Amino acid sequence: MASLIACPHCGPRPKEEFTVKGDAAIARPAADAGEDAWYAYVYLRDNPRGRHKEYWHHTSGCRRWLVVERDTLTHVVYSVSDASTQGGTA
Amino acid sequence: MVDFALLHRSALAGAKTGSFGAVSTGSRIALTALPEGHVLHVLAAHGSGALQSLVAQIGDGGPYAVRAYGPGQWFVVGDAALSAADLSGKAALLASRASIADQSHGRVRIAISGASVEAVLAKGTAVDLDQASFTIGHSAMTLIGHISALITRTGTDSFEVMVLRGFAESLWDDLIQMSLEFGVDASTAD
Ligand SMILES: [Zn+2]
Repeated sequence: MASLIACPHCGPRPKEEFTVKGDAAIARPAADAGEDAWYAYVYLRDNPRGRHKEYWHHTSGCRRWLVVERDTLTHVVYSVSDASTQGGTA
Repeated sequence: MVDFALLHRSALAGAKTGSFGAVSTGSRIALTALPEGHVLHVLAAHGSGALQSLVAQIGDGGPYAVRAYGPGQWFVVGDAALSAADLSGKAALLASRASIADQSHGRVRIAISGASVEAVLAKGTAVDLDQASFTIGHSAMTLIGHISALITRTGTDSFEVMVLRGFAESLWDDLIQMSLEFGVDASTAD
């Protein structure tokens, strides 16, 4: 796993300061999408080899939710951004 | 009628004090428990814009009273205890653009200083403490070992560390341990 994450607010920090929530690419289904769609949304996850977008929480830093795009094979971190800039929900 | 009186007791009142470690004189570390005056957590309202100068107005005028924590969040600290009236006065100054959560009894400040202070703190955190990037007055929330703490540089050879009250004595012991190779003098107010 990538060991240094460049928090856009705090600068480079070790992964121990963060909590990983998981896949940031999945979309929440509509309320009436049906049981299969909701089952997939809640429980089913890919285990990608390569480029991957995840939610990371800077738990022991600024306490912001971030979106980290990284490679699970090479550990390269492509980008780190505040999660509020993705969906405009902050 | 209360069954027993609530007694305010300093978080580090029972912490170990004295001189520990190497008998060196040149680069000794001084560890000091600071007064449990006030610690205010200030949180910006959504879309309230730049607030740095507004937040500075609720500080006590001390040089490092306002400490940036994360986007739209600050800690405002000082040695004097605040009354409820003081607090509501400060809240009024913020004019609904930010709110105050009183953390005065929740977080504790420890001063640490000495020529080798950067080397001591670097044992616990990965933050670059060099003065070129961590300037006087700068703050960073980080881990010191397994304990979250806000580190603030107060001088070339001095820092303040603010920690959740329940972790204060553990961090105090850790800081003594981390300072042993240089020698350390630890003192609490009581
Ligand atoms: Zn951060």
